[in-house]
Parts: sequence; C-alpha cells; structure tokens
Amino acid sequence: MSILVGIDVQAIDEVEASIKEFGARYTHRLFTDHEVASCGDGPGAASGFAGRFAAKEAVLKILELNEIVPRWKSIEVRRSMGGQPEVALHGEAAEIARSQGIEEISLSISHGGGIASATVIAQVTQGRIGARQWAI
Amino acid sequence: MGDLNATIRDVLEAHGRLPVSLSSVNDDDDLYENGLTSHASVNVMLALEDAFEVEFPDSLLRKSTFESIKAISGALESMGVEAPSV
Repeated sequence: MSILVGIDVQAIDEVEASIKEFGARYTHRLFTDHEVASCGDGPGAASGFAGRFAAKEAVLKILELNEIVPRWKSIEVRRSMGGQPEVALHGEAAEIARSQGIEEISLSISHGGGIASATVIAQVTQGRIGARQWAI
Repeated sequence: MGDLNATIRDVLEAHGRLPVSLSSVNDDDDLYENGLTSHASVNVMLALEDAFEVEFPDSLLRKSTFESIKAISGALESMGVEAPSV
C-alpha cells in the first residue's frame, strides 16, 4: 500500500472578488449544487467556497493527469454525518482515481489569515510507479 | 485571429493576475508556467464569456482549455467565435 498527499491554498479575497463580479455564474460553474447550498450566500460564503476550491485543486494534484483533466465539478466536497469534510468524485475524476488504485481520500480544510488551505491524503492499493508515490 | 488574440490578451491583462508582463508571453507559451493560477483562469473564462457573448460548454471547463493564448483561441473558435464583439 502507498499514500499520496496533495495540498493547495486559495486566497479568500480572490474568491470574494469573483463572487462580487460574476455572482452565480462563478459559483455554479465551479461548484456542485450541494456545494453551493452548503456555502450559502452569507458573509462566510467566500471562505467556504475558497476551501472547497483548494480541496478540488489538492485532489487534482494527486491524480495522474494526461489527456483528460477532470472538470472542477467532478470533484465535490461533502460533509460527513459527523461534520467532517469528505471528497466525492464523479465522472472522469472518479475514473482516473479508480485507474490509479485510489480507494479512499481523506480531506482536511483550514482557514486563517485570509487563506483557505486543503490537504488530501489518498490510499493507493494497486501497484503504481510515480514520482509522487511514497511507500509506507 | 489577430483581433481574437488581442481581446484574449486584454482579458488576461484584466483578470489573469499574471506576475509577468503579457508582452513577454507568446501565444503558445504555457500560461500556468507564467503564473496563471487555476482560480484566475476561472475569472478569465467568465470574462471571456462576457467579451465574446458565449458560454463555455462543460466539455471545455478544464484547466487545459486555458493553458495558452493559442489554446484559448482554439477553444473560442471551436465555439464559433471568429471576431471580438467589443
């Protein structure tokens, strides 16, 4: 078994500016209906969207991408029953993850200093050779 | 093509947040290697939609669509864009 780690950060004020300029066109092109509903449209919305965008990018970093690059909405952040963030993959993102032997992805999101950060850790159960793989 | 690329450059200038001067970026240079972030590419996409009065289909909502000025113009041309509307 091996693990993959992906991390990304996103400035919250950049997301806030995008929402201000493009409104729902911005949120609905990047985020699923579930994510849009989860973030709401209150004062903390930009922070929520920034964390989710960082999570999508963190997941992209653990996927081996060739010709096919998953759409942003094919990587979705959900909340578990206990309130923990979870990654749900759809479409091409799910197919790529399966082809890599990724069975489970753990996600942590944090906010502070105007930045949202996301870290993902994935377990790979199939044999896989790559520069971003560390055996444990 | 020239006018198309000029408008793309105007949009990149306004929304791309590139840390380098666009004048130093060739049409086929990798924009991500020149500092375009994924998030900024989304803003570029939405601003391009405004500039050309089009909507990028889901099939083009990928990072690779915005990896170069040439790639962006190719995507716009695949959507039927031939000349800037502004």
